[in-house]
Amino acid sequence: MRRPGFSPSFSGAVTVLALGFLALFLLYPLFGIFEASVLDPSGAHFTANNYLRVLARPFYQRALGNSLAIGAAATVVTTMVGVPLAFCLARLAIPGKPLLLALATLPLVLPSFVSAYALVLLFGRAGIVTQALRAIGVPFDSLYGAPGLVAVYTLTLFPYVVLPTLAAFKAVDVSVEEAGQNLGASRWRVWRTVILPIVMPAVLAGALLVFMDTLENFGVPFVLAEDMPVLAVEAWKQFVGETGGNPATAGVLGVLLIICTTLALLVQRHYLARRRFATGARTAPPLLAIGPRWRVAAIAFSWGVVALALVPFCAVVVISFMRFRGPVITTELGLGNFIQLFARAPGPLANTLILAGAAAFGGVLLGVPIGYVLTRTRTRLAALLDIVAMMPFAVAGTVLGIGLVIAFNAGFLVLTGGWLILVIAYVVRKLPFNVRASSAILHQIDPSLEEASINLGVSPSLTFVKLTVPLMLGGIVGGAVLTFVTVASELSATVILYSGKWSTMTIVMFQALEGTGAGVASAAATVLIVVTILPLALINRLLRRQGASLL
Amino acid sequence: MTAIRIAGVSRAFGAVAAVDDIALDVANGEFFTLLGPSGCGKTTLLRMIAGFCDLDRGAIHFGDRRIDMLPPHRRNAGMVFQNYAIFPNLTVADNVAYGLRARRVAAKDITARVARALALVHLDAHGERWPYQLSGGQLQRVAIARCLVIEPAVLLLDEPLSNLDAQLRVEMRGEIRQLQQSLKITALYVTHDQEEALAISDRIAVMRAGKLEQVGAPEEIYRHPASPFVAEFMGTTNLLHGAVTGGAGAWLRVAVGGQDFHLAAPGARMGDTLSFSLRPEILRPVAPGAAAPEGWALVAARLEHVEFLGALTRMEMSLGEGTRLRVAALDLPSGWVRQSGAVALAYDPARITAFRAR
Amino acid sequence: MRNLGRSSLVCAVVAATLLLGVATAGEARAADKSVVIYSANESVLDELVFTAFTKESGIAVQPVEGGSGVLVKRMSSEKERPQGDIIWGISRSLLQSNAALFAPYHSKNVDAIPVEYRDPGDLWIGNNLHLLVLLQNTKLVPEGQGPKSWDDLLDPKWKGKIAFTDPANSGSAYTNVTLLAQLWGNDDAAWEKVTKLFANMKVLNKSSLVFSGVGNGEYPLGISLEYAGYIWASNGAPIKTVYPSDGTVVAMEGVGIIKGGPNPESAKVFVDFINRKDTREMIFAKTFRRPARQDLDFTKLPGNMPALSTIKLATYDEESWTAKRPATMAKIQEIVEKTR
Repeated sequence: MRRPGFSPSFSGAVTVLALGFLALFLLYPLFGIFEASVLDPSGAHFTANNYLRVLARPFYQRALGNSLAIGAAATVVTTMVGVPLAFCLARLAIPGKPLLLALATLPLVLPSFVSAYALVLLFGRAGIVTQALRAIGVPFDSLYGAPGLVAVYTLTLFPYVVLPTLAAFKAVDVSVEEAGQNLGASRWRVWRTVILPIVMPAVLAGALLVFMDTLENFGVPFVLAEDMPVLAVEAWKQFVGETGGNPATAGVLGVLLIICTTLALLVQRHYLARRRFATGARTAPPLLAIGPRWRVAAIAFSWGVVALALVPFCAVVVISFMRFRGPVITTELGLGNFIQLFARAPGPLANTLILAGAAAFGGVLLGVPIGYVLTRTRTRLAALLDIVAMMPFAVAGTVLGIGLVIAFNAGFLVLTGGWLILVIAYVVRKLPFNVRASSAILHQIDPSLEEASINLGVSPSLTFVKLTVPLMLGGIVGGAVLTFVTVASELSATVILYSGKWSTMTIVMFQALEGTGAGVASAAATVLIVVTILPLALINRLLRRQGASLL
Repeated sequence: MTAIRIAGVSRAFGAVAAVDDIALDVANGEFFTLLGPSGCGKTTLLRMIAGFCDLDRGAIHFGDRRIDMLPPHRRNAGMVFQNYAIFPNLTVADNVAYGLRARRVAAKDITARVARALALVHLDAHGERWPYQLSGGQLQRVAIARCLVIEPAVLLLDEPLSNLDAQLRVEMRGEIRQLQQSLKITALYVTHDQEEALAISDRIAVMRAGKLEQVGAPEEIYRHPASPFVAEFMGTTNLLHGAVTGGAGAWLRVAVGGQDFHLAAPGARMGDTLSFSLRPEILRPVAPGAAAPEGWALVAARLEHVEFLGALTRMEMSLGEGTRLRVAALDLPSGWVRQSGAVALAYDPARITAFRAR
Repeated sequence: MRNLGRSSLVCAVVAATLLLGVATAGEARAADKSVVIYSANESVLDELVFTAFTKESGIAVQPVEGGSGVLVKRMSSEKERPQGDIIWGISRSLLQSNAALFAPYHSKNVDAIPVEYRDPGDLWIGNNLHLLVLLQNTKLVPEGQGPKSWDDLLDPKWKGKIAFTDPANSGSAYTNVTLLAQLWGNDDAAWEKVTKLFANMKVLNKSSLVFSGVGNGEYPLGISLEYAGYIWASNGAPIKTVYPSDGTVVAMEGVGIIKGGPNPESAKVFVDFINRKDTREMIFAKTFRRPARQDLDFTKLPGNMPALSTIKLATYDEESWTAKRPATMAKIQEIVEKTR
């Protein structure tokens, strides 16, 4: 069915342009990676040997197994923490809820490898907390290994589950809940048989993000996995390891990463395809009255989770104000780290703001029309675009970065060494945010409004610009801010693609942590937190006003 | 066999008394309607019975059993929601089976009862459909089947037809009434649509600002409204005000717009100011030279505006001093509609309801 | 019409911005009096040197910092159109294996540097000498009770207590492993010992995790580079640097000028600067990098670092290990995998 008024020329042009962009900057670079994985050492013949060789090695089997197990565990734990938290925030009277909600999104701001560093200082073998615990007789070993990784992922990624689930809980029509009780089901039974299934798509959307993020993240396992093999770390080493990795192995590992994440994406889409659960509440369901004991438990849980998630966050800020002697942290306070940072950091700070801003702008420019076409039209080409536009979720930043370098260092289009390639990488990686944010809001806008505009003589493309875009503004800004914030803390693609002039704050942190500049790194993290907290406050206001989810 | 007894029930939201000391008895098997404008407290009262709204004071009984302290899922009061509240994550059959499963009914019984319930609402073939595949009317039927299948003590319906289009509304209300009659179930129906209320109810309670304004059979409420509010809410009427200028026996003369109306108002005396309601259908223009119907009285009016609606013709007339009257006539002689000017207007004094001015 | 004008203006601005992006992609090329340096050194060292260099020469430095692997990969993938002028801080073997990408330059200070630390064709020059050492956290392992030699590390009591860097991600770790293989006889028995050693070690992903881990007390022992021990110790960390009694090796890292880079003249100025005696003294005082030139008097500098001549060095056939690298790496990787 095609709605009248959505002229094929407008949506068709958007579809073709968007597909072209993604083909050039996503598929073509990835093809380079894929190609390396299926060529024999001479580079002339296709072979499956690389895959057989890598998959036959117990080490890589373990790496794959570890990655999937840790990813699955982190996803399950994050969901088990995030869904109740979202429920508490949506349906219970929790004191300080707006503040809590704002704080709950903060973990998105801090690059996870910085969290890992701070957590080692606290919970490592010689960590402050570890030692304190041991002093009072708690047999706590350390944060290293799989449990630590799962804990760190849970505490940094739970906003991905909380935000969409919270919105979904608020969108459940309360009469559905009452109908369940009216038919004789207890509150718990209604929750289990009706409410939970209805919010499940939103939960899964968030859980998928968590799973993909854990799978492609190398900054955290780099530190916390110690010598446990992890796929993303091994891929990173093979791609850019100092002692010269093996391009074929690197390609195979990169493709394995993509396969894992794509499979997860497909499973989720398959599940969602059979379910259309929107109940479209006109007003958010009322707060539930619960007994004082449950209320205390809910408050303790909500604040507890958020407080725990803010531990690395606060640690970094505190550390940044500690005096460092060279690499050695002292117990004195001082501003030395900031002085040292700003001796050179205005450049990186400005770069971070410029690049993240440009990426947010570019993301809107590309993502909003795509979101529009996907929501409002049903053509085969649009269905293809739908799949391709979600693919960046499945591609690790490192892999995309390498692909872009291979593809655009020479030949018909040369981009390496400038800012544009960074922005392109960011726009591609964060495209799903923008597409989702705009299609989420579009679902709430009655198409008859646009039909009215076209009927009154305004062309479809002008209607889109003059009517639809202003109506979508909340979602658009939401997607843009989310892009901005997550780009500002992006490391994995940046580290491959940045050039001297375009060093960013995360690069400063990564390099400083690489050597003996932990103090500077935490100062840089503190500065990054401060400059990204503002747009995040904006996102929260928008979220609360619209009740829409950005994820 | 369940009667509903509502005794001294109140509920305030802040300073607003949503339900204010209401006492009401609904007989077993009765189709009882709570009628009133939005915000009158009718839905709040219904939700109190269902258990979704706490009582500040009072008690509700189903038969001999007090239920207002029970949690909603133990009241066995099937409710049909305004927006149907069909579970979007369950198929039609699973929606209908929901209450049976909650009651741990054996699986083979569930299948049979669900099939019967769906047959009852003419959805036999739709059990495996998903809610999003159904039309509004079909969703409504699912909602009803879902309630009836649990054999509830009472059936509560919260404006169940307000989301349907006009024709479907008329059709569905007939079906609901029929189902209720054949199952002999006690039904409490909430609506703001007086026509709907009149069409299907055994008795109606008109509510206003949290209080019962009048309780009675449809005809009684229509013909003998207890207050100007009820008169105006129950269909179109002309509400006139005037002073008693004279009269003999039961019949008084009341001056309105420079003319006298004859009406019965027991207990009113000379000089009292009265309000009275004249339904448009008890007014009839009299052709020049023709006589007024037996027992009817006449006033002089001006025809201001005519609307020909086929069977029905609506007219707007004016008396003196700016008083306007709405008149409705069935099957008016042809030629009338294009005329205007002075008209003799007949009315039936016995059908006027007078109210003491408050 | 006005609306149409506005939207086409937006389009024009967007198009112009994108074009600008493509145009400025190679912008490093156009700027004068600057130098693009790919540095594998840690940022503290970079900052120290670059600040001093710019102050003295007026040449702005655009640093690209990264692990040597990332940088070499970048340099070689950019060889059709080089973006950098200098690559600095990569190991001798990387310098040798990528010599084809370098432009020869006969630096002013070249004579102060022993021949073994520079390319005969002047394609690259040695810069820092890293000695492979043991680091010992004296709070966790009291001063006298630590290992004295590589052999001591095989003691089962150290199992899980020695931090090491994955040779896949560290040139000096590769050097270290092959040194031990050679030291222990370079036969099957030697590799058996290497395997035993790996079974005793935690293999971490990057070298900074080793020295900061030992410095912060995460690991009692670590195999790392000399300078790290001195930096941490001089700043108050309980770290003792142990020169293994069975001999260690000098891992040299150096600098090369990238052939066809955008600022060849500035690149030469930098290469001269980086090996000057006063520059080396400044670097040493702050970061304890042992220079390739041998004329610094450590007794007059902080840290009390022993002269190279007083340290027992083992025989190490670097060229042959570099040549055999792919096969050896595969072997090491197998050992790492087997012992995890």
